[in-house]
Amino acid sequence: MLRTSRRFSFRATRSTSAAIAGVLLVGCTEVKEQPKSAGPADVGGTMVVATPAEPGSILPGLYSTSIERQVTDLLFDRLAEIGDGLNSIGDKGFKPQLATRWEWSPDSLSIVFHLDPRARWHDGQPVRATDVRYSVNLIKDPAFGSPMASSTTNVDSVSVRDSLTAVAHFKRHTPEQFFDLVYQVSIVPEHILGNTPPAQLKTAEVARRGIGSGRFRLGKWEQGKSLELVADTLNYRGRPKLDRIVYSLSLDFNSAVARLFTGDADFFEQLRPENMAKLATDTALRALPYPSLQHTFLALNTIDPAHPGQPNPIFADRAVRRALTMAVDRAGMLRNVFGVMAHPSYGPFPRFLGVADTTLPQLPYDTVKARALLDSAGWTPGPDGVRSKNGQRLEFGITTTVSSASRKQYSVLLQEAFKRVGAVATVDAVDFAGAAAKLQGRSFQTVLVTFAPDPNVSGVRQAWSSAALGKDGLNYPSYVNPTVDALLDSATLAFDPARARAYSRRAFEIIIEDAPGIWLYEAPTVAGIHKRIHTTGLRADEYWAGMADWWIPASERTARDRIGLRPAATP
Amino acid sequence: MNPSAALASILGPRRTLSRLLHDSRTRIALVVLLIVALSAVFAPLLAPYDPTVQLDIVRLPSQPPSFAHPLGTDPYSRDVLSRLLYGGRISLAVGLGAVLLAMSFGIAIGAVAGFIGGAVDAVLMRFVDAALSIPRLLVLILVASLWGSLGLVPLTLLMAGTGWFAVSRLVRAETLALREREFIVAARALGASPMRILVRHVLPNVAAPALVAAALGIANVILLEAGLSYLGIGVRPPTASWGAIIQDGAERVSDLWWLTLFPGLAILVTVFACNALGDALRDAFDPRQLPRGNDPTFAAEA
Amino acid sequence: MRRFFAGRLAQAVIVVFLVTTITFLLVHLAPGDPISVALDKPGVTEAVRQQWREAFGLDRPLGEQYLRWLGNAARGELGWSFSFRRPVRDVIADALPRTLLLVGLSMVFSFALGIVVAVLQTERPGGRRDRWFGRILLLLYSVPDFWLALVVLLLFAYRLPIFPPSGIVAPVVHDYMSFSGRLIDRLLHLVLPVTTLTLLATAAISRHQRSALAEVMPSDWMRTAIAKGVSHRRAVRRHALRNALLPSITLAGLYLPALAAGALFVEKVYSWPGMGLLAANAIVARDYPLITASVLITSIAVALGALLADVAAAAADPRIRVS
Repeated sequence: MLRTSRRFSFRATRSTSAAIAGVLLVGCTEVKEQPKSAGPADVGGTMVVATPAEPGSILPGLYSTSIERQVTDLLFDRLAEIGDGLNSIGDKGFKPQLATRWEWSPDSLSIVFHLDPRARWHDGQPVRATDVRYSVNLIKDPAFGSPMASSTTNVDSVSVRDSLTAVAHFKRHTPEQFFDLVYQVSIVPEHILGNTPPAQLKTAEVARRGIGSGRFRLGKWEQGKSLELVADTLNYRGRPKLDRIVYSLSLDFNSAVARLFTGDADFFEQLRPENMAKLATDTALRALPYPSLQHTFLALNTIDPAHPGQPNPIFADRAVRRALTMAVDRAGMLRNVFGVMAHPSYGPFPRFLGVADTTLPQLPYDTVKARALLDSAGWTPGPDGVRSKNGQRLEFGITTTVSSASRKQYSVLLQEAFKRVGAVATVDAVDFAGAAAKLQGRSFQTVLVTFAPDPNVSGVRQAWSSAALGKDGLNYPSYVNPTVDALLDSATLAFDPARARAYSRRAFEIIIEDAPGIWLYEAPTVAGIHKRIHTTGLRADEYWAGMADWWIPASERTARDRIGLRPAATP
Repeated sequence: MNPSAALASILGPRRTLSRLLHDSRTRIALVVLLIVALSAVFAPLLAPYDPTVQLDIVRLPSQPPSFAHPLGTDPYSRDVLSRLLYGGRISLAVGLGAVLLAMSFGIAIGAVAGFIGGAVDAVLMRFVDAALSIPRLLVLILVASLWGSLGLVPLTLLMAGTGWFAVSRLVRAETLALREREFIVAARALGASPMRILVRHVLPNVAAPALVAAALGIANVILLEAGLSYLGIGVRPPTASWGAIIQDGAERVSDLWWLTLFPGLAILVTVFACNALGDALRDAFDPRQLPRGNDPTFAAEA
Repeated sequence: MRRFFAGRLAQAVIVVFLVTTITFLLVHLAPGDPISVALDKPGVTEAVRQQWREAFGLDRPLGEQYLRWLGNAARGELGWSFSFRRPVRDVIADALPRTLLLVGLSMVFSFALGIVVAVLQTERPGGRRDRWFGRILLLLYSVPDFWLALVVLLLFAYRLPIFPPSGIVAPVVHDYMSFSGRLIDRLLHLVLPVTTLTLLATAAISRHQRSALAEVMPSDWMRTAIAKGVSHRRAVRRHALRNALLPSITLAGLYLPALAAGALFVEKVYSWPGMGLLAANAIVARDYPLITASVLITSIAVALGALLADVAAAAADPRIRVS
């Protein structure tokens, strides 16, 4: 029932083919040899996607859940598409989408975008440069209240040279200025939305109409039942191979998974470990592992939640944080929760991030050392086995969400691990809203966080530098280390990817030693998919990016593939 | 009042007691409850393991029933039999505690409403009407999920706080009925305090229905606790309650059936025994003394 | 009668008012708000969240918010759902009929079944059949709602895949079926949830029905009827049932809250997108307007049920009107 959302997570990752190979090695079902591409006869068919959540807003700039983001991305276009390399520095690797080409000004403070003259909105109107200006202004408009507003602060304005030429002006020349505009802003139709004041778009009916320029258009949308995307047959980027993608909506994880196994759905985004055995024996389905940027750690709050501003009486001490990390059998827990499917977390980053380094030295699992470390830090065991120091007991809460099975399981495992070194942890399983409020207000002792940073260096800075303290940032442990700050600043400002990686590596090394979090796991991202559906490469930031080119060979069609574009009979 | 006299005043004539003891439901219920209570009390002696200790998270999670673990282990490699035995303690303690508290609240508030009457009565009873018209489960879900997982004491208080409405109505009705009776009027004229009237006259008259309500109430609280735990908002981990054991396997019902089946049966059997006892009590008492079988207040509190 | 009715109606209005007020306060005092849920993602600044709070008036004092909500509710304006991003009215208009269908069908079936069982039991009160039915009903009455739903689901949707496990219609293909195909599809999806809810409700209803019947059985006119040679079954049908029907109507009105609660678990286990599931999800999302509106609807339904029960009882027994 409870919204099974993984909302801490869905900012995405970049997937390289090497990354995909890496996931495959983890040992899920082997991917069958597939024909390389679809023939002309292979256009058509319906893919049903089971989802455990109901989409709300599908207007770019206002979406917030994973499913909303996916639907929005399929309906709307960006100026250019981040390439398979997921490079965020400069414009290397970016592929044309609404803009066929672009030119940088000599001072790099403005970029001229030339729009594709064939591009049309789903209502037939042409896409114009004024739409680009409108879209950027909308995101930046405080009255609109876009969650993405902060990522476009470096974009100063957009001017219109002619109906097909838009010029973006930037405040500063930065390595990621192109990314900031092109990746974060989808282009929306001014003639549809412009009549509604930005402040009212949050609740306006027009925001749910989904009129974009993407290769799919919005079909029927019935609450609690389904949302349909239909092929835009006249699209300037070509008609999608699939006729339709139907999201079969349910409000519960188990029933969504059940639809995959009963054949009512063809695709389910993220299976849990316990589904894998069944998937292996199912003749119609296969496992589709894909890379992602999700990673999970236990954040140890270095400030006192009871007295904001004061250091935390337990976790402000680096030795205690290190000791608690050493008390945790991370490999054993990984086996317990995920079997052989998951990867450990190697530090304050997901392993598919461009600047990731999975070879950094880790704190060992060593309960003897952990106890010794606590002893020497002044935490001595009392008669009940619980340690204390100056009257303060080594007692704290682990906040986790009710809706996440693996996080809840981890919280109970951690509780027992801490008990073995003389610390009492209470599991505080709250619902999603409670967890979000605690995270944003930093009113927790420790919390299990799953999140996925933006696929760029700034993503790391957003989470671990002192610039990310306070409610605006994602530095949940309120971790402060000036050396790390300096290193991350340098990494963000480096125009050379190799140097960015070197700076980041040194910052990660220090963070791991300081242990503001206990790095736990990268949950396996494995989709279940019907064997007749053939996919293209999957990007770590958005596995659905190529969905318009997924196809079903004509010879393997089932009854629902043959429905074609025929509209439903009126009930 | 000596204990046997007190019992007699509650159970009425000896006929009631013998009727009760000759009812097969009573005997079954008492045997079941005795077994459940004894195994809960002696759980530390009976349980092969500590109910919260994780035996071996790599080699022993989610083991089906075997000789070493007769009811299997859960995903955390804890012994389910031990958890089930200790879980009985939680379920019974919450059930008994909540019902005792609820009875006290109900009697106090019903008596206040009945004795004082007027505006106080009207306000209290409108509140009771309002409370009875929201599904109890909805209130529990609202509070429990809004404030996160609860400790045992808050959970018991919450159950008690949502379980006193019917009893307070009963006590109020009895108080109102007695207030006008001649011997009460006389007693008051002689200076008897309301407290004394409550204890001497009102309580004995409502004891029978209250006892029935208590038996059914315990059953109800056990069910509700299980329901909340199933939704993941019941007792706080690693506490073993029957509902919590089911919740630990709820995501994987089809392959970890032992986590659903055994605690489910424990709940079923215990609740059945409480309900059977309640039924037997109701039938044993003089029927005119009791609310009719279809008294809506009891249905509403279900 | 009219005065009696007006009095009860006024009571019902007060009850609904109290219930929604308490709910309103409860959800607003809980930690977290709809904005902290809707806008919990990397990169969202507190300023943006604050802007949303202001846009929806969530930054105003609680008393002011309450008065505004009250004013809107009085005009039938239920507000805007944060989690669905639609007007609450539309969200409920989609969900309510589904729950009414589920609860309505179960109510009809469980009353029919409950009365039949009660009649069979009271043909010879205390007899073997009576006792066995009594035990089975008591057992059913003692089963945790969600547990029964889970067991039924496991048995008849997974172990023996006869019925669809979730939802109200087959996804996608439903719309392309013939009229009769669509009807059958709908019915198939109704079988498991309705059966579960019916079993749960029947246990309670026939237990009450039996004691109501048992009470009228020994009455003089029953004895007379039987003495006149009317068969027992006929006597029950002609006389006893008519007299016991009234408590049934009363019970139907008053049993609504319990049924609504049972429906919540059934909706969850079978992923039936009705009011129960809607309310439960709204709580998680701190969707204030949707939570209060769901409770408002539930309490109105319950109050109406109680009102009908009172009026029915009063219509049958003039003495009640006086009390």
